Amino acid sequence: MGNKTLALCRTAPYGSALAREGLEAVLASAAMEQEVDLLFIGDGIFQLLGNQSPEEIQQKSQRRNLLALPMFGLEQFYVCASSLAERGVKPKLIEIPGVEIKTIEQPGALIASYQCVLSF
Amino acid sequence: MTLHLVSKSPFSSSALRDCLQSFAEGDALLLIEDGVYALRHDALQTLQNSAVYCLEADAAARGQRELAAIVSGIKMIDDAGWVKLCTQHNPIVSWFR
Amino acid sequence: MNHLSANGKEIPLDKEGYLRDLKDWSPDVAEQLAAAEGIKLTDAHWEVIELLQDFYRQFDLSPAMRPLVKFIGQHLGADKGRSIYLMQLFPPSPAKVASKIAGLPKPTNCL
Repeated sequence: MGNKTLALCRTAPYGSALAREGLEAVLASAAMEQEVDLLFIGDGIFQLLGNQSPEEIQQKSQRRNLLALPMFGLEQFYVCASSLAERGVKPKLIEIPGVEIKTIEQPGALIASYQCVLSF
Repeated sequence: MTLHLVSKSPFSSSALRDCLQSFAEGDALLLIEDGVYALRHDALQTLQNSAVYCLEADAAARGQRELAAIVSGIKMIDDAGWVKLCTQHNPIVSWFR
Repeated sequence: MNHLSANGKEIPLDKEGYLRDLKDWSPDVAEQLAAAEGIKLTDAHWEVIELLQDFYRQFDLSPAMRPLVKFIGQHLGADKGRSIYLMQLFPPSPAKVASKIAGLPKPTNCL
């Protein structure tokens, strides 16, 4: 994985600006042809859930923005298996067209394989 | 090997718990700021075979320096020690909430 | 230019010439926004504008250059999904200029 960066997405959307800021950083990096991988872990997996309708709280849909990532060349997401299980989220609920979801049993080993990790 | 920085109290934040979930063998943990209250938390027991460091100034400020001295396996470091850890590990992951 | 008028209505623009309210957009407004950029809209422009608006509806964001090129390529074919083609239609910065004419916000991750 060489000099790739990992974006650690560990917060739920809307409750704070972190999830959005992480996505903006990933989009900006991808637009500049910098390779970034994403690992959704902890409450970060809530960013992937379908049926997000945040219009009434004047926010943009985090999931709809994530759906754009294949257009930016990002076609694979890592997701922590135990975070899904702990929250009762079935992998089926977080499918994204054009993206391969790879569930990870050992997030520590994945993290250790990167040079740079950004946490959001 | 990853250097994990935890800066929130384990009694009010999931930072330590989330960090331990992503802790690989050979990784190191550094407790800073309110993260030093992890010295009082049972979860730290699971790291008995790993390198655990604590920033002395932050522990001292919070009245935890004496405790750190008796919790086994904790190494107290200063800012220069922190810098050294950063040069010895890659990547560095900050668990700041 | 801080506003333009269309259908007898004053339409406010921000200081870079983007629509303040995306609901103000109409083809007539697009023609005027294009004219301000020195562009006369042809069918080739319109098919890109419509796709940009599709992109925004689908993903809730204005695309930077790279995703725009990929999206156009997927829908209009490889010969149009090229930056040089979009550069000819919407100079000098296709993602920004085309977003403006399509009535979308400025692409946030476009430097």
